[in-house]
Amino acid sequence: MSWEFFGTTLAAFFTLSLYSFLYKDNPFYKLAEHIFAGISAGYYVGLIWHSVIKQQLWTPLFNERQYLLIIPGILGLLMFTRFFSKVSWLSRFSLAFVVGNTAGISLIRQLHGMILPQTRSTFLNVASFSGLVMVLGVLSTLIYFYFSKEHKGALGAVAKLGIWFIMISFGASFGYTVMARVSLLIGRAQFLLTNWLHIIK
Amino acid sequence: MNSLFKIFSSLKALDRRYIFLLIGVAVILPLIFPLGLPLGVTQPSLDLYNRVESLKEGSVVLLTFDYYPSTLPETEPMSYAALRQLFKKNIKVITVTTIPLGALSVMENVVKNVAREYDKKYGTDYVNLGFKYGYQAVLLGMGRRIADIFPMDAYNNKLETLPLMQRVKNYKDIDFIFIVSDNATVDYWVSLVNAQFGTPMGAGVTAVMAPKCYSFLQTKQLVGLLGGMKGAAEYEKLTSNPGRAMLGMDSQSVIHFAIIFFVVLGNLGYFATRKKEVSK
Repeated sequence: MSWEFFGTTLAAFFTLSLYSFLYKDNPFYKLAEHIFAGISAGYYVGLIWHSVIKQQLWTPLFNERQYLLIIPGILGLLMFTRFFSKVSWLSRFSLAFVVGNTAGISLIRQLHGMILPQTRSTFLNVASFSGLVMVLGVLSTLIYFYFSKEHKGALGAVAKLGIWFIMISFGASFGYTVMARVSLLIGRAQFLLTNWLHIIK
Repeated sequence: MNSLFKIFSSLKALDRRYIFLLIGVAVILPLIFPLGLPLGVTQPSLDLYNRVESLKEGSVVLLTFDYYPSTLPETEPMSYAALRQLFKKNIKVITVTTIPLGALSVMENVVKNVAREYDKKYGTDYVNLGFKYGYQAVLLGMGRRIADIFPMDAYNNKLETLPLMQRVKNYKDIDFIFIVSDNATVDYWVSLVNAQFGTPMGAGVTAVMAPKCYSFLQTKQLVGLLGGMKGAAEYEKLTSNPGRAMLGMDSQSVIHFAIIFFVVLGNLGYFATRKKEVSK
């Protein structure tokens, strides 16, 4: 028995174990679930150790003498103070750095990369029929989420139109989600029939 | 009317495991006995294909593998088809992933297989940067200097020792970014890299993400889009590389018919039984 066949059979066993949940909860499903969680955690730790700590901190700091890296190194270590209640406040320095950094990047990203291009593009296409529908959809949906005034009269009618647009977008998303989930099932069936059982080539 | 009520009532009580079984059969049978149902190509897929085709020989493309192994049926065929198209056109390829779990192995597998098919040399024709944690910092940092973020490639070679990376310093030296993603990283590629550095890009994404990504087509932040297994199958067809996505489309269509049938049946049953139950 080759190692490849052993690996494929093991993968097939775990696939079938997980699908066995569709019949009812059972020990095979639990075994596969726990092994997946354990291996994922171990793999993640190994990968981070190699690609972040060793490659981006340890090697440049001690081999290439990039002493500026001591600062992020200390900030990283401070995160572990959360395990000790007396000094856990020190981790706030690291968290403050992460929160501030992320907020700054996200603000620019959302404004420059999302809101401005989307708004500009929405209103530039208003001359075409589809563009007009899009403008109507955007405005009516925004009005639906305007809660400072009761949705009555003209405001209520536009808000109702907004609900229709939201429902249509939910329908489209749901249709795509069904396709995505079915694709995963097809993928597993292809694996079992092609790689494991060799029924299809 | 009474018999109709009885039929729908018994259907309502049907064990849902029979439906699971039926769906399983509907997936497996078309895989064993392909139906050869027609497959159309949508405009966003065609646009992406044409854009890649318009690149000159020797151009540099950054191909991302931003997906977990759980979405391989949708995303891996896109990577295979894209890489085959790029290598066939003698385009230089840099591969990268921002996903920690499994993507590195998938990327290595796909790149090695296709490079062998087209007899491409590592370091000159393609480079595998590997994985780096923290995609916001990675994406922004690569705009300044790729070697700052990836001092070494996936095989621990120093970047400056690789001929291709001697002429590629940052996004300015990259002609196109081909994103294959199953998560929010596509948002970051668009809103950080395209918005700040102006590098043109196209994406292949899972079906769950496709509705959101369509808005990037309208703004021209993406030049083209592949959505789910259907998008992957379209790209396989366009690049004349029939693979697992095209093979799976028959099952996909059969299941969609089955689901539509169940949705209609369920609604008919609901309305038929509700009237009777209300009158009771």
